[in-house]
Amino acid sequence: MSGQPADERLERGLSLVLVVGVIISAALIAAGFAASFAVGWTGSLLGQATSAPPTTDFSALLPRLVALQPLAISQLGLLALVLTPFVRVAASLLAFAFERDWLYVAISTAVLVLLLLSLIALR
Amino acid sequence: MPITAGTDAALFVISLGAGLLGALGGVGGGLIIVPVLTVGMGFDIHLAAGASIVSVIATSSGAAVAYLREGWANIRVGMLLQVATVAGAIVGALVTSEVPTQLLLLILGAVLLLSGGMQLLRLSEEPGAGPVGGRDRWRLSGRYFSIRLQREVDYTPIAVVPGFVVMIVAGIISGLLGIGSGALKVLAMDGLMRLPMKVSSATSNFMIGVTAAASVGIYLARGYVDARLTVPVTLGILVGAVVGARLLPRLTNQHVRIIFIPVLLIIAIEVLLRGLGINV
Repeated sequence: MSGQPADERLERGLSLVLVVGVIISAALIAAGFAASFAVGWTGSLLGQATSAPPTTDFSALLPRLVALQPLAISQLGLLALVLTPFVRVAASLLAFAFERDWLYVAISTAVLVLLLLSLIALR
Repeated sequence: MPITAGTDAALFVISLGAGLLGALGGVGGGLIIVPVLTVGMGFDIHLAAGASIVSVIATSSGAAVAYLREGWANIRVGMLLQVATVAGAIVGALVTSEVPTQLLLLILGAVLLLSGGMQLLRLSEEPGAGPVGGRDRWRLSGRYFSIRLQREVDYTPIAVVPGFVVMIVAGIISGLLGIGSGALKVLAMDGLMRLPMKVSSATSNFMIGVTAAASVGIYLARGYVDARLTVPVTLGILVGAVVGARLLPRLTNQHVRIIFIPVLLIIAIEVLLRGLGINV
């Protein structure tokens, strides 16, 4: 039941996942933002030529990351940020399974399936 | 509106203000930044929603720091109701491109008014929690430490089904407008389900990030998340929210309301007028 020690540990663990996720992604977003003032959004901190896709395009990040393109660094941070809630729900699911709370394993699974559908299947 | 190098810094500063105002007023930064970007700066409402929804994830997850210490959120209540908000958000994000901008603005204005009104009404510290010891089919009962009573208080939520239905609506609005819909979530949890206010606020906050994540996948696929706009907005709101959360304990509630309520009302009226096609 809520409020008892197992749940409190669960809650604290989950909150920690979120906080670490947000700190890492915010650091990446901020690094890209700061670098954009130095070399422009689609420049390169290494002075290399990089592709300049529309800023709504989050694909083909890797070659732009290798060239340390500010836009790509920030985009990686944005994607990491967006994924933190997924990690949180997945962690809840595992914690409920650990407590053998099958009703809430099923409910967490439903939430996770809906989230994955929204990310992958729905356009 | 095209984004030039100068607007990057301006967007950051404006968003910082929105995050600060949101944190001090008890609403999300998204509810402030969407009208500022659309009505104030002329950005497309879907691009504003795309930037806002990412910032909503940042502030919701970031606020978990506070609850890490205090532990008021009820994870089971949050997870159960998330089925409703996530499903609603998916529907909202899928249909938002089909909804006329003016109707979106009217809905946004209504949510702003509701949020402002709720801030005024929430004067009582802890509205009575539901009856304890009743049937608890979903195993949602919990316990929290009441500062007013100086002891642990047990609670069991009631009206789970009506609460679930309101959560579907909250999810749809979140998906349509890129906002957290925290006011509607709290309305369902402390109004209908009779959860203690602190528990419903903390649980709502925990749900907001997951609800927002459901819209983001669809927004990304549709090109509503523009990094040039989203990066300064998200960073600004996050910094503003963190600073606001630090300032909050030093301000009494009355001070906060005097600053905040008129600002929220003015924004709401602007947005509603624009929704009605009247340019002021």
